[in-house]
Amino acid sequence: MQKVVTISLNGIAYQLEEPGYNQLRTYLERAESRLQDSPDRAEVMADLEQAIGEKCRAVLGPHKTVVNSAEVDRIIVEMGPVESADEREKAAGAGGESGASAGSGAQAGGPPPRKRLFQIREGAMWMGVCNGIAAYLNVDVTWIRLAFVLLTIFSSGLWFVTYLVLMFVVPVAHTPEDRAAAFGMPFNTEELISRAKKNFEEFGEKYRWRREWRRQQRHFNRQFRNMNEQLRVATAQAQPVIHSSARAIGLVFVPIAALISAVVAVAFILTLFSLLTQHTVFGWGLPHGVPLWVGIVALVMLYIAVSTPLRMIRHGGQQSAGYHPGLGAFHSLLWIGFVALLFWVSYTYLPGVREVVDSLTWAANLTVSTLTETIV
Amino acid sequence: MEITEKLSPIRKGLLEFVILKIVAGDKVYVADMLKMLGPTEFATQEGTLYPLLSKLRREELVDYEWQESDAGPPRKYYKLTPKGRTQLSTLNDYWKNLNKTLADLGN
Repeated sequence: MQKVVTISLNGIAYQLEEPGYNQLRTYLERAESRLQDSPDRAEVMADLEQAIGEKCRAVLGPHKTVVNSAEVDRIIVEMGPVESADEREKAAGAGGESGASAGSGAQAGGPPPRKRLFQIREGAMWMGVCNGIAAYLNVDVTWIRLAFVLLTIFSSGLWFVTYLVLMFVVPVAHTPEDRAAAFGMPFNTEELISRAKKNFEEFGEKYRWRREWRRQQRHFNRQFRNMNEQLRVATAQAQPVIHSSARAIGLVFVPIAALISAVVAVAFILTLFSLLTQHTVFGWGLPHGVPLWVGIVALVMLYIAVSTPLRMIRHGGQQSAGYHPGLGAFHSLLWIGFVALLFWVSYTYLPGVREVVDSLTWAANLTVSTLTETIV
Repeated sequence: MEITEKLSPIRKGLLEFVILKIVAGDKVYVADMLKMLGPTEFATQEGTLYPLLSKLRREELVDYEWQESDAGPPRKYYKLTPKGRTQLSTLNDYWKNLNKTLADLGN
């Protein structure tokens, strides 16, 4: 069973199977962008629509009312790629002077297609984000998956949020042409936000979100149970080795760990805000051509890379000191204290930080005053 | 490289000439032009032909008129304009000269 989409070509309605509709839409969008600079764009588009309509009619009959995907594919092949007549002339003119370069001139009909990041559902483990990244970076998908799994484990789940964000932000490759482009434009920011909204809405509609989420949760729970079980067995075996003097070392170690992780956390949060509000790292601009989102992803990765070993050392330290809930609470209290202190120190002594925080408070005040004005 | 591939820019360049020649006869519909060119070296597709015809019309070399059809909405039938006719005879002369040059060279 196939879903059918009704379209209008030059004022006449046709019914196409959904994959075929996606194909045709991509073809016409591409044609329109090729003709962008042509004064005849509207006319040529109408001509093309009419020609496609005629070809559709040719395959329809009294007992066949829907154009199937294979037929749409064939129609698109018959139509051939749309090239602007003026562009064609230019291309011929460029290669026309010398016979030797003529051949290459013909092949260089247009610039090579730019690569685009897509989610590729075919052969995907889950939503195809890794699959798309692998195609984009031209590496084997196994490496990307491995990297995602490792990052998720080391960041104790935080990295998984990146996957979720990408899932809503990156477009899904619906047609073979999309998939070709996946292997061959970094996407721009406005497109990004509107697409994320749209995808989120569509996703919610299909209830697939909940089903997938529950499935994933069950999967995680199972894995965590196994892991906990193994840990419990391991600690039980290690128990006799621990002696009481270790607890004293832990008491010295905990404040140091709390201070270091507070410094890292404060630096991370301030840099992140600086990136988001001013698109710079305290006045240091991102290298030219690096989009903001790459900067943010890089920052999160850096944070994870630095904070994870720290946490592991700390956990190790607590373990050897013999786990005591008091130590954990002690660490958390110290951490909060250090974070507050560091914020105050950096706000007082670093002008770059002050600028960021002030712009944030200014934005917050503005929001609050606007809200109160609307309410009052 | 294949000979046909080597000469493909020449065929592309000649397409405009070829279309003027076809349109010089009777009024023609795009699907019929494609059918006519199909078996020749100048086989082409709607994706190429429509933009080219629109450009030729902008340059006032061809024009079209709408004709009712049994099989659907009215169709555009293309024909040559007086200006197009002058252009075509210039192109014809040029082509003859080109042929002559090619034949004479090396003899």
